[in-house]
Amino acid sequence: MRTKLREWTNHSFTTLSSMTILLMAAALLLFLLPMFSKGLTAVFFGGTVEFRKMQAELFKRGNPETLQREMDSTQQARAEIFALLERFSRGIDTAQLESDAKTLFRQYGDELRFRNVPTEKFIELRQEARRVRDRLIEAYENTDKDEVLPILEEITNLGSSPQFVGTSMETLIAMAGDYRAAIRGVDLTRRPEYAAALEAVKEQLRWLFGPLPGESIPALAMYRFGATRRDMMEKHIRYLIWQERWIEQEPGKPLVKTLVRRDDPETGVFAGTELVPLFALVEENADAMLNPRFTFYWQYFIDDSTPGHYFGGVGPEILGTLLLTLLAILFAVPPGIISAAYLVEYAGDNVVIKVIRTCINTLAGVPSIVYGLFGLAFFVTVVGHPSILTASMTLALLILPVVIRASEEAIRSVPQTYREASLALGSGKFRTFTSVTLPAAGPGILTGIILSLSRAAGETAPILFAGAVALGPIPDFTGKWWLQPSRALSYGCYDITVGDKLAMMVPHNQFGMVMTLILLVLTLNITAIVIRSHMSRKLRGS
Amino acid sequence: MKNCRTGRGAILVGIAVLLIAAGANAADKLQIDGSTTVGPIADAFAEAFKSLHPTCSITVSKTGSGDGVASLIDSRCSIAMASRFMKEAEFKNAVNNGVLPVAHVVAMDGVCVVLHPSNPVQALTTDQVRDIYAGKITNWNQVGGVNRPIVIISRDTSSGTYESFNELVMRKEKMAAGVEYVNSNPQAHARVRSTEGAIGYVGLGFLDRYVKTVKLNGVAPSRSTIARGIFPVSRPLFLFTNGYPTLGSMTHAFVTFHLTEQGQEIIESKGFVPRTEY
Repeated sequence: MRTKLREWTNHSFTTLSSMTILLMAAALLLFLLPMFSKGLTAVFFGGTVEFRKMQAELFKRGNPETLQREMDSTQQARAEIFALLERFSRGIDTAQLESDAKTLFRQYGDELRFRNVPTEKFIELRQEARRVRDRLIEAYENTDKDEVLPILEEITNLGSSPQFVGTSMETLIAMAGDYRAAIRGVDLTRRPEYAAALEAVKEQLRWLFGPLPGESIPALAMYRFGATRRDMMEKHIRYLIWQERWIEQEPGKPLVKTLVRRDDPETGVFAGTELVPLFALVEENADAMLNPRFTFYWQYFIDDSTPGHYFGGVGPEILGTLLLTLLAILFAVPPGIISAAYLVEYAGDNVVIKVIRTCINTLAGVPSIVYGLFGLAFFVTVVGHPSILTASMTLALLILPVVIRASEEAIRSVPQTYREASLALGSGKFRTFTSVTLPAAGPGILTGIILSLSRAAGETAPILFAGAVALGPIPDFTGKWWLQPSRALSYGCYDITVGDKLAMMVPHNQFGMVMTLILLVLTLNITAIVIRSHMSRKLRGS
Repeated sequence: MKNCRTGRGAILVGIAVLLIAAGANAADKLQIDGSTTVGPIADAFAEAFKSLHPTCSITVSKTGSGDGVASLIDSRCSIAMASRFMKEAEFKNAVNNGVLPVAHVVAMDGVCVVLHPSNPVQALTTDQVRDIYAGKITNWNQVGGVNRPIVIISRDTSSGTYESFNELVMRKEKMAAGVEYVNSNPQAHARVRSTEGAIGYVGLGFLDRYVKTVKLNGVAPSRSTIARGIFPVSRPLFLFTNGYPTLGSMTHAFVTFHLTEQGQEIIESKGFVPRTEY
């Protein structure tokens, strides 16, 4: 009976522990899989021609000739869309047309003066031209087609009159003809509505193809290029074609979202206009217009980024994190090992030592933001401004207790016989420690260092005030780089989530940065583990 | 161990050589610290300065209006960003420290009340919004909406956006206990976007297709209503410097960049309202 019970408890314990392991693995997968699958899209994605343009302009990458050829072919594919847009805008954007007409009229006056026309003739001709101009503007402002068409007819008939041939007025008269063609499919009373809808379409086209023809080059890089990735391209094509409307189904109930194609022949905003073919064109020829193809953007890990991480990579962040972490280890490990050695080898077991040990244990449990505030109040005040030095010293302080605790345990676990053997051979206490105890404790100490390494790399709070910045120059190694503030991955992750609305538009970069941080910690750990196993192998003498 | 150290050294030297080759030699340094709302403007200005003044090195950290002002008082930064004016205590502190703060208004911003797009409510008055946040109105049907409890989202009390809202809408009345506080504009946006009965407030730049804004006292938030101050929750955004910067210095160029055409274009593209028409 008792054996059975024991067997049963053994069994249930085994199942329970294996289930816990499975649960942990599942949780880890649940945590890491989305992080990596989304993060990897920052590195592997369908890069469009806009991506290659951006790379060439911002990072001087790629072959200019092939890029030019690609740009030419995509530009050709886009030409039809821009022509459609241009023709349709002409019937809608009358403010632009009016100002064009006024400019042409002024030019005409200058031309007359240039030709030395006698004053009387000049006044007569100008008055005639002004009348034409005013009629045209009247036509632009009128929304009743029955009135507009005769005016336009009247103006176009003037085109053959000899006094205007070969002058700016000829262009002005041609504008009337253009306008007549443009408004053929437009319900003029709905012009304000069209103007708003057209602005939305233009906005999406800008996100897809960058600045439209005739627009000035924007100051910020993020507006200079269109959709650089296939997922962005698809998203903006969707937004371009489908209009989201929130419609009341019945009073007293929440609005319901409905999607309507903008070119839908019945309900679409542009139904029956000349703009209709544009949508199908974009949908069908998107690949020819943007040329997306699989891209492995390994430079993500070395590239600088534009502010807000819209374009580019995480190079400066990786460099900053490495510098901070390695410096912190450099500052924390020697004093950590020395104090551990003191606590184990030299200190007795009195009250003072007990208090010190309790203090160290308490320090290990102090929240990291407290260290951050201490760093701000002490290191930053002493050095004068936040910098890599102050941030890494704050981090060093944070990991010091961990290093001391781990080293203490490691040194303590070295068998007493080792020390006795060394002492018996005639070496002193110090010599025994450096040549026998320390090497034997090495792997254990390294474990502590590995733990603190990952902690230092991932902490945000201690460096928040002590030297991390959202945007700053790359450390300049020709000067005093340790006195400059630096970007860091952990702070970058925070900044990219809360900082700017741009971050909401580039989820791949958000996850990319998180993935990079995890990968970096993983790489640091693996390196340290390899060194540790190398050390313990050496220690075993094989 | 020795091998590894030389390896690490080689990597560092390699990176250093690369950077020297890139020839980054900073002549002027600008340290900018403060509000997360103004941060994107400073970021974008810094980007434009990179091509305009290649020798100037700019660092931007976004730690909040209060911290930015504090670091200007301690002379830890050259320009402080703030989405509110300095408080009296901060001013006194600054003067005692020998710092004479000068305010530069770079842009205008409106704090817009946002709802989930399925919400049929089109307009609210500031009194109604105050009552909602104070917990006196708890259901949308009390303000002409559907029968659904109101989920109230607010920014955390240390943000400048909260302070503007608190002053201009709440008139310092206490918010209800059930208010959910979030740490940033993107978070407030995300919370409203995903919650059907939610109400929240964000800066003008965060309005998009996923949230719906309402008219406040009959005025819709837009560039012109905010610039003219008709929209009830309009506020200026500030940069503070210690004294008026020396003419011709980088600091001067930076705090006056919003007056140039390029600066205004940037401010507009970031979803803020430029101070002047251009």
